[in-house]
Amino acid sequence: MLYYLAKRLGLSAVVVCLVVLVLFSLLYLIPGDPATIALGPRATEEAIARYAEKMHLDEPVWRQFLIYIGNALTGDLGLDVFSDRPVTAIIMERIGFTLALVFAGMGWAMLIGIPLGCLAAVKPNSWLDRVTGVLSVGTIAVPSFLVSIWALLIFAVHLRWLPAIGAGEPGDFSDQLSHLVLPAFAIGLSWVGYLARMVRASMLEVMGENYIRSARAFGLHPRRVIFGYALRVAILPTITLIGMGFGGMISSTVFAEIIFARPGIGKLIFDAVMARNFPIVQGAVLVATGLYILVVLFSDILIAWFDPRVRESL
Amino acid sequence: MKQTGTTRRGFLGTTAALGALALAPAWSTAAFAQAGSTLRLRIDGDNNVLDPGFMTGGTEIEAQKQCLPFLAQYARDGETFTWEPTYFVTRLEQRDATHIDFELTEGLTWSNGYGPVMASDVKYSYERMKDSDWSGYFDALERVDVTGDRTGTIVLSRPFAPFIMITLCHGPGAVLSEKAMADAGGKFTTSFPAVCGPYTYEATPGQRAVFSANPDWTGPQPAFDRVECNVITEVKAAELAFEAGELDCTEVGADTLARYTKDMPEGTGIAVAGELQYMWMGMNTEHPKLQDIRVRQAIQHAVDVDTILQGAYSGTTAKSHGIICPGLTGQRDSAGYSYDPARARELLAEAGVSGLEVTLRTLNNQERMLSAQIIQANLAAVGITVNVLPLDSGPFWEMGQESKGDTWKDLELWIMRFGTTPDPYEATQWFTSDQVGVWNWERWTDPEFDRLYEEGINETDMQKRHDIYVRMQEIMENTGAYVWINHEPEAFVHSTSVGVNAAPSGELNYRRFTQG
Repeated sequence: MLYYLAKRLGLSAVVVCLVVLVLFSLLYLIPGDPATIALGPRATEEAIARYAEKMHLDEPVWRQFLIYIGNALTGDLGLDVFSDRPVTAIIMERIGFTLALVFAGMGWAMLIGIPLGCLAAVKPNSWLDRVTGVLSVGTIAVPSFLVSIWALLIFAVHLRWLPAIGAGEPGDFSDQLSHLVLPAFAIGLSWVGYLARMVRASMLEVMGENYIRSARAFGLHPRRVIFGYALRVAILPTITLIGMGFGGMISSTVFAEIIFARPGIGKLIFDAVMARNFPIVQGAVLVATGLYILVVLFSDILIAWFDPRVRESL
Repeated sequence: MKQTGTTRRGFLGTTAALGALALAPAWSTAAFAQAGSTLRLRIDGDNNVLDPGFMTGGTEIEAQKQCLPFLAQYARDGETFTWEPTYFVTRLEQRDATHIDFELTEGLTWSNGYGPVMASDVKYSYERMKDSDWSGYFDALERVDVTGDRTGTIVLSRPFAPFIMITLCHGPGAVLSEKAMADAGGKFTTSFPAVCGPYTYEATPGQRAVFSANPDWTGPQPAFDRVECNVITEVKAAELAFEAGELDCTEVGADTLARYTKDMPEGTGIAVAGELQYMWMGMNTEHPKLQDIRVRQAIQHAVDVDTILQGAYSGTTAKSHGIICPGLTGQRDSAGYSYDPARARELLAEAGVSGLEVTLRTLNNQERMLSAQIIQANLAAVGITVNVLPLDSGPFWEMGQESKGDTWKDLELWIMRFGTTPDPYEATQWFTSDQVGVWNWERWTDPEFDRLYEEGINETDMQKRHDIYVRMQEIMENTGAYVWINHEPEAFVHSTSVGVNAAPSGELNYRRFTQG
C-alpha cells in the first residue's frame, strides 16, 4: 500500500509541475504586451513600469520561471495586480465557498443518485427503472449552466422562493444554506443521472454473482444483501466517478458562481481572466488543479484500500 | 418471510422529506424586500484601490463619492451637463482663467479622530495627484494656495476651461485627510484611512461593499441609511437579480433596455445617466488602398448607420455625428455625409477603383461583430469586399500604436469606441498631430485642428467653445477617415420607489438617490 501511495504521489507531483509550466507560459502565449493587457490601453508609463517590476517582467524568462516556482513552493502565489493583496489570501477567502458548493452539489447528487441506481437495479425493467433511465439521460444531457438559468428564473425570479444572488449573510448559517440551494441543485443535477446509471449497471452485474445468490439462499434480509454485500462491491467504479466528478464540478462552479453571483474560485478565475489579472488566474488555476488532483488521489487510495487488486495494477 | 427492507413508497417518502428539509431554511429567509431604508445595488467587481491617485475608476469612484469630500458635482442644465458646488464648500468660484477660489463648509470632520477638514487637505490631495496614475487630470494644476483654515485658491499654470468638470467633479477630485494619509504611509488600497461623508465603507471581497450611516456626519442625511452593493460581474446576472427583486437598481445592456422600453414592467423605470461613449469606423489615410480621399468618402456614403443601430443595438443608442457626445458643448446635429450607395459607386468610379478588398478589424464582442457584418454587407453592395477580423483586446488596442510593432502599417478599417468625460476637450485630444501612431490611427494631421484644440482648452465662452468643437469635427469628417456610428447610453433599470442619481459617465452617487 505504501509503495502504491508513493507512486500515486509521484504522478501527482508530475502533473502539478506540468500545470505550473503551462500556467507560467500563459503570460507569454497571449498576444500583446502583458503589462498593457493587464492595465489597459491608457495605462501610464509609470504604472506599466511598476507592473513590470512587480511581475519581474524585466528579468529573463527562465529566471522569472524559477522565481515563480520558488515562490509557489513556499505558498507565495504573487500579488494581485490591482489591489497588491497576496493572491494566496484572496484564494483562501474564496475557496470555502467553492468547496461548500461542490460538496453540497455532489452530496445531494449522491443522496439521490445512488439509492435511485440501487432501486432501478433491484427491480430491473420496472416502471421505476424506466423512469430513472429517462431522467438520468435527461439530466446528463442538460448542461449545468442551463439548469442554473432555469432554476434561477423559476425559483428566484418567478416564484421568489429562493434567493438569486450571493452567498448569504456572513455568520447566518440559515441564510447561507438558502443561498446554496439553487447553485447546488444546478451543478448536482446531472450527477444524479451519472451516479444512478453507474450504480445501476454495477449493481446489475454484481447481483448476478454467485455470492449474492448464496447470500439470498442463506435467507439474509434483502436490504442486507443489497447494501451489505452488493453495493459494497458495486460502489467501487462509482467512487472513481465521484472523484472525477468533484474535479468536473470545480469547472461547473464557474457557471453557477457567475450566474448566481456567488463568490468562489470559479468566479475568481473568470473575473481575473476578464481583467487580465494574471497572478490571480495562475494562482487560482493552480489551486483548483491541486484540489482536483487531491480528490482523484483520495478516490484512488480509497479504491486501493477497498480492492487490493488495484494496488498491484499500477 | 416478512420483509422490512426499502420499499418504493418508503424511498420516495424519504427523498421528499429530505428535499423539504433542505429547502426549509430557504423558505424562512426568502423574504427579499428588506425592511428599513436599505438601497441594494450592483457593483461589477471588488473595489481594489480606493486611493484616488491609483484607482482603476468605475465603482471605486462611486465609493469615494460617498465617503470623501468633493468640491464640485455634476448637474444638468436642461439637456447639457454642467457643474455645481457640493455641500462641502460654501464658495467655489472661478476668479479668472487660472484661479479657482474655494471655502470649505464649517464643521466638516474626518473620522478616526483626524480633526476638521482643512484647506491644507485640499492642497495635499490635489498636489499629490500630479505624481499619480491620474496625473493627466492635473496637468494644468500649478499649486493650491492655502489662505486660511478653510479657504484657498487652486492655481492653474495655464487656462484650462474643463478643470472643474473633468477634475473636480470626477473621481480624481476627491479630498483626503493629510494626517490620515501620513499615518497610512501615503497610499491606501481597500479601506479609507479617514472618511468625511454620509457613509462609512466596509467590503467583503467577492461578495459586497456596504455603506453604513457615518455617525460623525453632520451634513444633509442621505435618503438611505445603508447601501449594499453586491458584486455581480455579469450584467445579465444583475438583470435577473433585479427581476428577482434583490436589487433596487442596476445597469442594463442594450437588448434588455430595448425589451424594457418596449414593455415596461409595473413598478419599474429606466434612467439614462449619459451617453459618453463614441463609436466610429476608422480608416487609415496612409494605407495605399485608402490614400485616395474619394475611396474613403465612398465608404462613408456606403455604410448604413441606421441599420447598425437597429441590427446591432436594438435601436437603443443615439446616432453619432461626431466625437462629441450628447449633452456636451460642441455636439453636432448632423453629419456632413449621408447613406447614399449610388454616390459611393460614383466616387469609386471617379477614383478608378474596382474590386477593392479591405480588412475590417474589430473587438470580438457581440455588438461590434454584428456592426462589422452589417458594414461588410453594405460595402459589398458597392463592390468592396470586406474581410472581418475579430480580435481580443490585447492585440486590438495595440494595433495602431507604433510603439507596439508594425501592425499599424497594415491597418485599413477598424471599429473603435472611446469613452470620455463630460467635456468636449477630452474627446478631441486623441486626434491631434502628436497623437499620430499613438491614438490617431487614422494618421492625418491638420494645423487648424491643433490650433483649435488649444483654443478650446483656453476658451471659457460657451458659444465660442461650441463653435470650436463643431469645426474640429468637420475637419475630422472632411478627411473621409470616419464613419460616425453611435453613442451608447449608460442605462439603469430601477424600482420606481427609488430615484437614481448618476454621473454622466455612469458612476452612481448613492448619497443623492431619493426614495418614493
